[in-house]
Amino acid sequence: MTRPAAGAPLSRVDGWLKVTGQAAYAAEHDAHGAVRDVAHGVIVTSTTGRGRINGIDTRAAGALPGVLTVISHLNAPKLPYQPFRGVPDPARGGGERLRVFQDDQVRFFGQPVAVVVAETLEAARHAAALVRIGYDGERPATDLASPAGPPNKLETYQRGDVETALRQAHTRLTRTYRLPREQHHPMETHATIAHWNGDRLTLWDKTQNVLNTRADLAAVFGIPPESIRVISPFVGGAFGSALRAWPHVTIAALAARQVRRPVKVVLTREQMFTGTGHRPVTDYTLTLAAGQDGRLTAALHDISAATSTYEDYRESLTVQGQMLYATSNVRQSYRSIPLDISTPTYMRGPGAATAAFAIECAMDELAHELGIDPIDLRLRNEPGQDPSTGAPFSTRRLRECLRIGSRTVGWDDRDPEPRSARDGNWLLGTGVAVASYHTLRAPAQALARLDADGNAIVQCATSDMGPGTYTSMTQVAADALGLPMAGVRFQLGDSTMPQSPPHGGSLTMASVGSAVQDTCDKLRLQAIRLAVEDPGSPLHGAPANDVAVENGRLYLRDDPGRGETYRQLLARADLSHLETPGGYTPGDEVERFSTHAYGAVFAQVAVDESLGLVRIRRVLGVYDAGRIINPKLAESQAIGGMVGGIGMALLEHAVTDPRDGRIVNANLADYLVPVNADVPDVNAIYLRGDDRTADPIGVKGLGEVVIVGVAPAIANAVFHATGRRIRSLPITIEALL
Amino acid sequence: MYPFAYTKPADTRAAITAGARGGRYIAGGTTLVDLMRETVERPDTLVDIGGLPLREVQATASGGLRIGALALMSDVAAHPRVRSAYPVVAQALELSASPQLRNMATIGGNLLQRTRCAYFRDVTAACNKRQPGSGCAALEGHNRSHAILGTSDACVAAHPSDLAVALVALDAGVHLQGPDGERGLAMTELLLRPGDTPDREHDLRPGELITAVEIPPHPRPLRSGYLKVRDRQSYEFALTSAAVVLHLTGGVIRDARIAAGGVGTVPWRLDAVERLLAGARPSEQLWAQAAAVAADGARPLRHNAFKAELLKRTIERQLRTVGGTR
Repeated sequence: MTRPAAGAPLSRVDGWLKVTGQAAYAAEHDAHGAVRDVAHGVIVTSTTGRGRINGIDTRAAGALPGVLTVISHLNAPKLPYQPFRGVPDPARGGGERLRVFQDDQVRFFGQPVAVVVAETLEAARHAAALVRIGYDGERPATDLASPAGPPNKLETYQRGDVETALRQAHTRLTRTYRLPREQHHPMETHATIAHWNGDRLTLWDKTQNVLNTRADLAAVFGIPPESIRVISPFVGGAFGSALRAWPHVTIAALAARQVRRPVKVVLTREQMFTGTGHRPVTDYTLTLAAGQDGRLTAALHDISAATSTYEDYRESLTVQGQMLYATSNVRQSYRSIPLDISTPTYMRGPGAATAAFAIECAMDELAHELGIDPIDLRLRNEPGQDPSTGAPFSTRRLRECLRIGSRTVGWDDRDPEPRSARDGNWLLGTGVAVASYHTLRAPAQALARLDADGNAIVQCATSDMGPGTYTSMTQVAADALGLPMAGVRFQLGDSTMPQSPPHGGSLTMASVGSAVQDTCDKLRLQAIRLAVEDPGSPLHGAPANDVAVENGRLYLRDDPGRGETYRQLLARADLSHLETPGGYTPGDEVERFSTHAYGAVFAQVAVDESLGLVRIRRVLGVYDAGRIINPKLAESQAIGGMVGGIGMALLEHAVTDPRDGRIVNANLADYLVPVNADVPDVNAIYLRGDDRTADPIGVKGLGEVVIVGVAPAIANAVFHATGRRIRSLPITIEALL
Repeated sequence: MYPFAYTKPADTRAAITAGARGGRYIAGGTTLVDLMRETVERPDTLVDIGGLPLREVQATASGGLRIGALALMSDVAAHPRVRSAYPVVAQALELSASPQLRNMATIGGNLLQRTRCAYFRDVTAACNKRQPGSGCAALEGHNRSHAILGTSDACVAAHPSDLAVALVALDAGVHLQGPDGERGLAMTELLLRPGDTPDREHDLRPGELITAVEIPPHPRPLRSGYLKVRDRQSYEFALTSAAVVLHLTGGVIRDARIAAGGVGTVPWRLDAVERLLAGARPSEQLWAQAAAVAADGARPLRHNAFKAELLKRTIERQLRTVGGTR
């Protein structure tokens, strides 16, 4: 039997297209010939953080050669902006999305206030610099401590009797942890090309969800979704920033309608800071109570996170606090604080990465206080079932993750005493943290077609922002169809394709993968049925269940010599193709079982105490993520996530100037992310196995869990090295001096 | 970006003529083009000097070194003579920017690169350097990366060059050619402190072109090295840096030249530190004593007060690294 494609460390099927420039990204579809006569839109953004526009002077801009129009609230048409809730809904707590050019209000620094449309990008950029806008501005609210209005509705959770447990606890500690505003910053900046043909709109867009962009824009313009087509075959990274249609998508469509020709809008790197969301500033105060034996008796979580004044953004900040450790008494309160900022959004490991920093640092502090090994403390609090629901875990192999990781890094040789290891000027430390991310699943559909040449095309309107969806889906399809990888083409990123959930939340492999599996199983069976019912087939009369397909050839399992190829089958039947839809809908296993991906993250750091430097020596993640469809892609996912976690721990921080709300370091020279020199030894290990309860193909999701737990592991390693707790990220030089 | 004219003169004389007419010189373009995109720089004419024959690195008759202004950062860093005689220069270059940038950027351009102050680089913010009289947004703004030495009420922007710090320590100077002929300036004369006129960053006359950098002869043996402290390990400007140049014979420091980067509005020579070192014998105590005065006169701001302490530690560490304790 040939080796299955799924499980093999295959290279990306679209790698060649990408490295040779043939992959068309959102801003490149004109250069690739998909659309002609494109005009260029450059957005002008507000330079005050709160207030109103009192005048716009576009004379100099409008007079430049090549400028077609300057659109602002003064001349923009009123757009229907029908009520719309995204999937997922970033404004879960309520509110309405920012409406572009519909009024004179400025809600944050960097808000789009005008767009210049010109024949060339150069003319548009020059003209944008000449637009003069006057403001009645006031000092914006940009700090959690002094909000723009009353806090939004409190989200609470409670089980047991926290007060009594706290009173009776042997050991209690209360700590506040702070996360700064972080930005996604994929390599590809966001871009949209909009083209109207009558009432029909085509959008070439950078998006993790073509269907969401379609639905959102349909609501903005008050037109049926069917009259909009969104095309997004390649996405150069996103990390969540492309899960919703941001204002620039509407701006491109609006401008294209006004100038009656296609318009392209590409955000600048600076505009990405305020135009495509961010991980919100979060204060997380955690009280843990434990007995002398280290068993947690109570946990009290008090969380405040930033949102905008116009939308109440909420993320999954409370999940881990409810299910990670066995604790009878838990209370959580989560409030979002309205500030004069753009609405935050999902950023890799949303909520979970933030909560894990607080919970896993506090666990380390508790371990130190009790004199219990940090791994041991976690093992003592390992629950037998989900403590929040009582549901059994579909799989939970955290113990194995911890055991394998501790063996690999030599944890037992570590002197638990802080400041006990040194290498010249460097103090050395090793820290651990646990990671988890809830396994999301959602309905998905797919379409598979087998052509007369024996090759197959499989489609779903999903996206591939980098994890390798093209490749992993091709692997699943190839195995199900009994074709080699080269015989299957997987297509995505087009709203005319079968329905997909958003490409985010680590749900694509579970949901779309299961849909592809189902669809391709159906197509294979359709071909087998055709053969066994065809008197002309060598397989005629055989039970369908006894027929297998390999390398495009159907054969009898017990008599492999008896068979024929897909090509022969379709040629004899005179069929141009076979085609079948299929899909996946999660069942009640979602409620009956508690399903999460888990990980144990180990960080080894060196700290030059005199100079305040923290340098990573090693990061190891051991993951229980269910089945791994492609170890090579998984390795990339994990390394990327862990590098993101290193950035979170040591570097990333969008700085807001409180006087006007400007992001001071709105560029990639000053907003620091790790470079190669910062990530010398980063590795992932995956537990072998699968989780067939979770979903038909046995995966638990990988992209999110791999950033969770990295920052606390590093902070705990810094404590082990120096004896100092840094509870506010990033861990900077000045914090350690 | 604003429209501009572009000219590429065939020789130095023609370039200087174009420069004297108001053209801006461009070589590697690694800083100017960025600033033009941000509309911080709006030159009418770019004079591309990239083709001029100013790339040579050669020993001078007196035993110093002359580096052509258009020599690439990467080439100078790799030059055998630079590596053997002036490690402080090679290290300062290799700790600058990224390999891609070092392959483009020139020595002359490096010295004249403009500050990384975020408010200078954002045309919507007040900045006396960019727009005299508009105020300084950094004084009360986010000023973690800013200078603590040589500042004024008009400007607190730090000079970004690492190379310039090493050259100041080595008492280097620049050769200039202009419409009125040739002249020379010490590095410390070339770069100006902001005072009341932060828009005046250097002492070049209209049309004047840096043709070469010259490092004078130094007594041998000469030990030197550069230490750069920053958040990430590569590709970031200095929070603090130290260029240390020591001439030691018979166990005594005969000559000490110490300069600091990341902390000054210009590359900062630490005379007080040098005075404590001259004539002394290397010891842990000496390094600590000398470094203790490194931040004398510092005027810390809200977010960069840590730099005063960090500077002392940076100097002390690099004195120990270069000077040893024998």
